[in-house]
Amino acid sequence: MGLRWYHFALWGAFIVGLALLPELVSKGTLRTIIFANYLAIFAISWDVLSGRTGYISFGHPFLIGIGAYTTAILTKRFDVPVEISIPVAVVVTMIGGLIVLLPALRVRGSYFAMITLAFMELMYQLVQVIRPDLTGGTRGMSGLPTLTRGAVNGFYLSAFLMVSVALSMWLLMRTRLGTALSAIGMNEESVRGSGLSATKLKMVAFLLSAAIAGLGGAFYVHYLGTIAPRALFEINFAFTIIVAALIGGASTIVGPVIGAFFLTLLLEYLRPVLPGAERYLIYGGVALLLYMYQPRGIYEIIQQGLARVRRSS
Amino acid sequence: MIQILIQGLLLSGLYALLAMGFTLIFSIGRVLNLAYGSYLLIGGYVYFQFSQVMGLPKLAGVALAALMGVVMGIAKFRLIVKPLKGEHVPVEISLLILAVVLQAAVVLVFGDSSKILLPIIPGVKWLAGTAIPYSNLFAAVASWLILIGLYVFVRTTHTGRAMQAVSMDPKGAAISGIDSDRINMITWAISGALGAVAGVFFASYTQLYPGMWVGPLIIAVAVVIVGGIGSIIGTLIVAHIVGFMEVIVSAWIAPELRGVFTMLLIIVVLVARPRGLFGREEL
Repeated sequence: MGLRWYHFALWGAFIVGLALLPELVSKGTLRTIIFANYLAIFAISWDVLSGRTGYISFGHPFLIGIGAYTTAILTKRFDVPVEISIPVAVVVTMIGGLIVLLPALRVRGSYFAMITLAFMELMYQLVQVIRPDLTGGTRGMSGLPTLTRGAVNGFYLSAFLMVSVALSMWLLMRTRLGTALSAIGMNEESVRGSGLSATKLKMVAFLLSAAIAGLGGAFYVHYLGTIAPRALFEINFAFTIIVAALIGGASTIVGPVIGAFFLTLLLEYLRPVLPGAERYLIYGGVALLLYMYQPRGIYEIIQQGLARVRRSS
Repeated sequence: MIQILIQGLLLSGLYALLAMGFTLIFSIGRVLNLAYGSYLLIGGYVYFQFSQVMGLPKLAGVALAALMGVVMGIAKFRLIVKPLKGEHVPVEISLLILAVVLQAAVVLVFGDSSKILLPIIPGVKWLAGTAIPYSNLFAAVASWLILIGLYVFVRTTHTGRAMQAVSMDPKGAAISGIDSDRINMITWAISGALGAVAGVFFASYTQLYPGMWVGPLIIAVAVVIVGGIGSIIGTLIVAHIVGFMEVIVSAWIAPELRGVFTMLLIIVVLVARPRGLFGREEL
C-alpha cells in the first residue's frame, strides 16, 4: 500500500488533535465541529463513488435520507432499539444504492448527474405523500431517541465515526481496488479492456458509498433527534456535500474531510463579521473562487505548496 | 375534460419555453447548466423590481429581464465555461455553486419572503367552467411565439445553422470555418434571455421567492432527458407530455403526486432509452 512514516504521523496527530479538541474549544464551537464531522462522512461517501469513478451524484441526500428515514421510522413507530435499527438502515441504504446503480449501467456523464437529481426529488415528494402516518409527512418527525447527551459526548461519537470511516476508506482506496475505481473515472473502456469487470467495480463503489451514507445518515438523525424532508432532500444539502468533497480534493478521501472542516468553519467564523444573509453570499463566493482556482481542491494546493518548499530547500 | 385540455396547454407552453433555453445549452455546449434556474430567478426579480416597484411599463420590465438574462448568459460563458475550458465536471459544479451564490444574492437584496407578481394582463376568462387568467393565456401564447421565432431562427439563418453544426460536430464545424466560441456565446445569450422571460411568466404562475429556481430546473432536466438532445420539436412535444401529465395527475389522482410521475418518467426513459425519445444517437 506504500505507507510511509509520515502517513502514520499525520493520522496520529489528527486523531490526537480531535481527542484533545473538547479541552481546547467552547461547547458552541464543538457543536459546529460535530456538523463538520457528519458532513465529512457524507463527503467521503460522495468521494468514494463520484470522486473516484467520475459518476457525479447530485442525489446523495437520496441515500442519506433512506438511511435516516429507515432508522427514524423503526425507532419511532416500531420501538426497535437503536442497536438494531442502525444496521438495518445501513443495509436498506445499500439496497437503495443498487437502485441508483441501475441507470449508471446505461448512462454516463451529465445524464447520470441528472438522474440522481431526479431520484432525490422523487424521494422528497414521495416521503411527504406515501404513508404520512409513518414518515410524518411534510413536517417530518421529532423526539427520536438520541444516542448521546451533551456536546462533548456527541463530539466524541461523531469524531470516532468520522475517523473510522475516513481511515478505513483511505486504506481501502490505497489498495488495487482504489486504483481500479480511479481508472473507471479516467477511461472506462480501458478498464474493461484490461479484463476487469467495470460493472462489478461500479457495484462495489456504489455499495460502499451507500453504506457510508446510510451509516452517516442514521447516526446523524439520532444526533439531531428530528428529521424533516425539507432539510434533507434539498439541493442545498447536496450542494454542501459535493462542494465539501471537491473543495477539499476529490478522489483523495482526506480532501473531503479537509473540505468539510473548511466549509463549516468558514461559515461559522463569518458569523461574527457578517451576521446577516451576506454570509451565504461570501461563503458561496469563496467556494466558487477557490474551486475555479484549483478544481482539484485544497489537497492539491497543499501538495503543490509542499513540493515548492521541498524544492527550494 | 376540456378543463384538463386547457390547463394542460397553458402549462405546457410555459414548460416548453423554460426547458428550451436549457436544452439549447445542453445540445450545443454539452454543458448541464445547473445555474439555469437562476435566469428564471433573476428574471422574475428584475421584472418585479422594474415593473412593480418602479412602475415601468410591463413590457419594458419583460425586456429588461430578457436583457439581464443575456448579460448573465454571456457572463457565465465568459467567466466560468471558458476559463474551465468546457470540462464537464468543473463547469457543472461551478455553475451549481453559482446558482446558490445567486440565490444568496437575491435573499440579500430582496429578502427571504415570497413576493406575488401582479398579473401581466389582469382579468379572467371563463371557458367551459374553467377560469383562465389572461396573464396565463398571454404567457402561453408568448411562449409559443418565442419558440416559433427560435425555430425559424435556428432553421433559416446562417447563425442558426452554425449552431446546429456546432451541436452535431464541433470539429467539423470548426473545419468549415465556424467560430464555435462565438456560436457558444450567442447560444448562452439566447438561453439566458429565454430563461429570464420564462422566469417572469413562471413567477406570475406561482410566486417569486429565492428558492424558486429548483423546480423549473428539474422540469427542464426532465424535458431534456425525455426529449433527448438536439431537437427543438422534441423538446416541444416532451414539454407537453410533462405538462399534461402533471395536470392529469393533479386532477385525477392527487395534486401532491404531480411531480412524482415526472420523476418516474425520467427514470424509466433513461433506463429504457438513454438517448431520449427524440434525441440523436450518442452517449
